[in-house]
Amino acid sequence: MSKTATLAPAAPKPSFWRRWRFHLSALLLIVPIVYVPSYFENLALSRGLMGLGQRPAGDVLVGPWKLQFAEWKVEPPKSDPAGMVKTFTMAQCAGCQDQIRAVYLRVGKPRSLRAAGSIFFGSPHRAFATVPIPPRTAPDADLWITAEGWDGSVHQAPWPIATASPATVEWLKKQGASR
Amino acid sequence: MAKPSRSKLWFLVHSWLALPIWIFLFFICATGTIAVISQEIVWLINPAVRAQAPDADTPRMGYQALMDAIAKQEPEASVQRLSWPEESQFALSANVGYPGARFTSIYVNPYTGAVQGPALSFDLRQFMRALHGWLLIPFTNGYSWGWYLVSLLSLPMLASLVTGLVVYKRFWRAYFQKPRLRVGQGARIFWGDFHRLSGLWSVWFILLISVSAIWFLVQAVLADTATTISTQGVPAVVARDEVPTVTPGQTVKRLPLDEIVAVAERELPGLETQHVFFPGNAYDPITIAGRGAYPLMFQYAKINPYSGKVEELRRLSDRNGLEFFTESMRPLHTGDFGGFWLKLVWFFFGLLLTMMSLSGLLIWTKRTAQATAKALRPARADRAAAREVTE
Repeated sequence: MSKTATLAPAAPKPSFWRRWRFHLSALLLIVPIVYVPSYFENLALSRGLMGLGQRPAGDVLVGPWKLQFAEWKVEPPKSDPAGMVKTFTMAQCAGCQDQIRAVYLRVGKPRSLRAAGSIFFGSPHRAFATVPIPPRTAPDADLWITAEGWDGSVHQAPWPIATASPATVEWLKKQGASR
Repeated sequence: MAKPSRSKLWFLVHSWLALPIWIFLFFICATGTIAVISQEIVWLINPAVRAQAPDADTPRMGYQALMDAIAKQEPEASVQRLSWPEESQFALSANVGYPGARFTSIYVNPYTGAVQGPALSFDLRQFMRALHGWLLIPFTNGYSWGWYLVSLLSLPMLASLVTGLVVYKRFWRAYFQKPRLRVGQGARIFWGDFHRLSGLWSVWFILLISVSAIWFLVQAVLADTATTISTQGVPAVVARDEVPTVTPGQTVKRLPLDEIVAVAERELPGLETQHVFFPGNAYDPITIAGRGAYPLMFQYAKINPYSGKVEELRRLSDRNGLEFFTESMRPLHTGDFGGFWLKLVWFFFGLLLTMMSLSGLLIWTKRTAQATAKALRPARADRAAAREVTE
């Protein structure tokens, strides 16, 4: 009997899998590392370090007031219990805070103040409104802004969806094509 | 081959529950433990957060006086919310927006009204919560999948607790015996004692943490399937005809904040006002929220800012039994309902729980190492014998 024959089967080297299998969940810790940049990007957006929203959508003159709008996130409408919705942000003109009582937004011209749409909620420097976007809306349709003064006056202005959110126009075009 | 005994089987189940995921579990326990005291860490880092009473007799300033003081020092700021700290060594915080859509928190001394500074740009508390709660994965459509990943850990955790108690023969007797933590007899003995001892005294804590985390999982499933079990109605609004109309140039009359808080405290006896949410528009009432006799749940009153009329009340008695359970889960998980010392208790047991996933692994590897050594020993003996024969 040779020496080598007795020694060979003594200690099989543990395979990579056997050695590391209980530590493989460490790979899950890569996930938060990957998401660090988007976490801070979201934080910067909510703190307004990127402005009013992800995409500035210009100023609209509604009656005597100049309101500044933005698309909160550049993306197509999102599903919600209320249907497909899209969120916009608005900032009032400097010093208008004591004049403007409320601002509303909806797709299509409202028939009355009661049907003016979603009311903006937040601060005079950034208020949010989440607006239902009916999938059958024509891509060239308008959003309508209704502003109500503390003196009871009501002013309206159209705001093309194309200006407000090109991503929504793209989405509407796709809705039309698939119909 | 003999059938493995039942306790041996339970032991194997206990080992295998956490073993394959121990690093992930360790990470979640560790970040959660830090999250418990993150506010206190911020207190150490940022002097603006601290507020000691100048002396024992100095009372806190009134609500409106504080608002006026903020307005005087920060004329551009629009205050969205005021939050009084749970602990007296903290300044109160005001969420404010500035022209240009910049939003931050500023810390205000409740005794002097001095604005002590803004929050640091890195919000440790929020970061630790996001890291622990959903691995920083954003909530885009419904709950973040990180939330699911983390809350799913509650299942092996609860199962580990149950199987751990099953394999710990007559564990209840250990409560009356001298605690055993043998140091100096090798790592295997030490970590084994540690695992058993901390498990024994953490039963209540592990139960709280895992059951509340199971609720977090259920909560996400309910939300993502648009199922509601809440008795809460739609938020109240101020009726159109109760919102004043003023001629241009005049200012809208609103009640002083102290009066509104007084209405809330009258309607909700025992209320300790902790948060004031200012209206988001002209038709939105002002919300006064705080804890009462039952420290785990918030009560609130929504009040018409122009007239002081109560628009909505959410009392303890408005909740059903199920809501008492579900709404108590979050504070029981975080330990933030009883001040600093309670947080320290949560922190301590959080540390033990974190170490349990590590000690569990160490016991396993030491035991496996020993078992391997034992298995190899006869082979070595054979080899030695073979050597003797050949030489």
